[in-house]
Amino acid sequence: MNLSNGETSTVSGQNRNGASGSWEDTKRLVKPSTPTRKPQPALEAVNNRLRELYPQSEELFDVVLVTNNHAYVGLRLINTINHHHLLIERFCMTGGNSPIGYLKAYHTNLYLSADSAKVREALEEGIAAATMFTPEKMTEVSETQLRVAFDGDAVLFSDESERIFKAHGLDKFFEHEKAHENKPLDHGPLKGFLEALGKLQSKFFDKGLRMDCPIRTYLVTARSAASSGTRALKTLRSWGLEIDEALFLAGAPKGPMLEKIRPHIFFDDQMFHVEGAAELGTVACHVPYGIAQRAAKK
Amino acid sequence: MVSTVANVDVKQKDAEQALVVAISCSAVLEDTDDGEVHGVGVAFPLLQAVQNVNRRLVAANSAESLLFDVLLVTTDGRRQQSARIVSSTKHHGLEVSRFCFSGREDFVESLLENRVQLFLSAEPEEASQAWQRGVLSALLGRQTWSSSSEQLRVLLCGGDIFTTPANPTPAAQRFWSQLGAMRGRFGVLDSPVSVSVLTAHGGRQSFGDALATLRSRGLKADEAHCLAGAPRGPILDLLRPHFLLGDGGLER
Repeated sequence: MNLSNGETSTVSGQNRNGASGSWEDTKRLVKPSTPTRKPQPALEAVNNRLRELYPQSEELFDVVLVTNNHAYVGLRLINTINHHHLLIERFCMTGGNSPIGYLKAYHTNLYLSADSAKVREALEEGIAAATMFTPEKMTEVSETQLRVAFDGDAVLFSDESERIFKAHGLDKFFEHEKAHENKPLDHGPLKGFLEALGKLQSKFFDKGLRMDCPIRTYLVTARSAASSGTRALKTLRSWGLEIDEALFLAGAPKGPMLEKIRPHIFFDDQMFHVEGAAELGTVACHVPYGIAQRAAKK
Repeated sequence: MVSTVANVDVKQKDAEQALVVAISCSAVLEDTDDGEVHGVGVAFPLLQAVQNVNRRLVAANSAESLLFDVLLVTTDGRRQQSARIVSSTKHHGLEVSRFCFSGREDFVESLLENRVQLFLSAEPEEASQAWQRGVLSALLGRQTWSSSSEQLRVLLCGGDIFTTPANPTPAAQRFWSQLGAMRGRFGVLDSPVSVSVLTAHGGRQSFGDALATLRSRGLKADEAHCLAGAPRGPILDLLRPHFLLGDGGLER
């Protein structure tokens, strides 16, 4: 996405954690080029529900717009945001400095950008980040329930299993996963973000709203339910994290499944899946992490 | 009684054209009884940065008259140490144009007489006194010491980033346009002076208003942050300004 001067603007999401006085984050979808879809509703809906239930709490979704632009183009940026009726209230114009320091200062839970270099930098600093790709045509998504879909390996989990698969093939992969079924996988770059979402979800669960929770999470993985999927689920359980729906595609394309789920955002480490998802109207984000990136470079 | 002494070792600036900044002596030199020379105070990196700005301005235009004109002001009647103060500033390579030896009751007079546009002090009392008489003032602190010695970093901060004293002196009123002109002498990158803006409360609306006001005063800011109520500590640690102006400035 391009805002002013042809520069790419990036979005960082944040929550405020009232308990420790520090900041968590949130995520945001900003699509100034596609005014047919207003992305705010889902996040605003979640925030409104949270405020209703916990009026004193500051644990909400919070969005900060981060740009490398200098302040003197700030007015144009504000005008653009007003024009598209985006509900962004926090801004960080770094005047050419790297945004990474600011992301850390804000305790960013998720950093989204159209600039993959910045995303890589953020990942290297341990900040959950992904490169956004806007589909040409976006499918309709819920305005009342925020849906977030994650790939498993190299997104929520480390890329260790992908390495086995790439080095030794599918059979070895299955063997390895079966043998290590009870050994939790290492965590991946977006585990923290899932955790942050989980914290907000549990605020609804605590009020008995499990069935009517305005945040829903999905695991969309090429693993198969019969075999390699078990390790994934056990890993999540060992982390104390829940995922609402786990979809084991056993290698089938993810696009059609995502079209059914209609997440507001989907994270995958492989461009093949990101593109496939975007082709069918899902907002897909690439997490440039792990072995898949080296393979892609060749 | 105030006595003002020009520093013969430093080329005097054209006071009409220059940006006159006065710094309280106690912020520049430590008050040590022993030794030949005073140690440096919290404002040392700031002065080095200011000198760097002057250096770059002159390098770009040898006839430049919009320079920082630095005055050292004593506020506690340290007249008897005046020689030591002068020699200490020379020892540390500080390019002070003039020394104003005054006391607590009359230091503000010397600020007014010298048409000081900005007064910097590490003492809240002093800054407040000057402010009440219409002199634009800012507090220095620990963050001044840990800030850059190569780039002067000014932060306009608060709900109202352009807070001025109730009856601002003409000198105070000229400060913004002069600072803007000075910043404008340099390009977007590699500038020896950086102006940042931070609105603490209020959202996009007040942020936009602040940016519009900046523009109308001819001041091109480098960084701009709209916190909308977020804690400002982490961002301040990142920005490392030498001092803050605005209504968020004097409340340290």
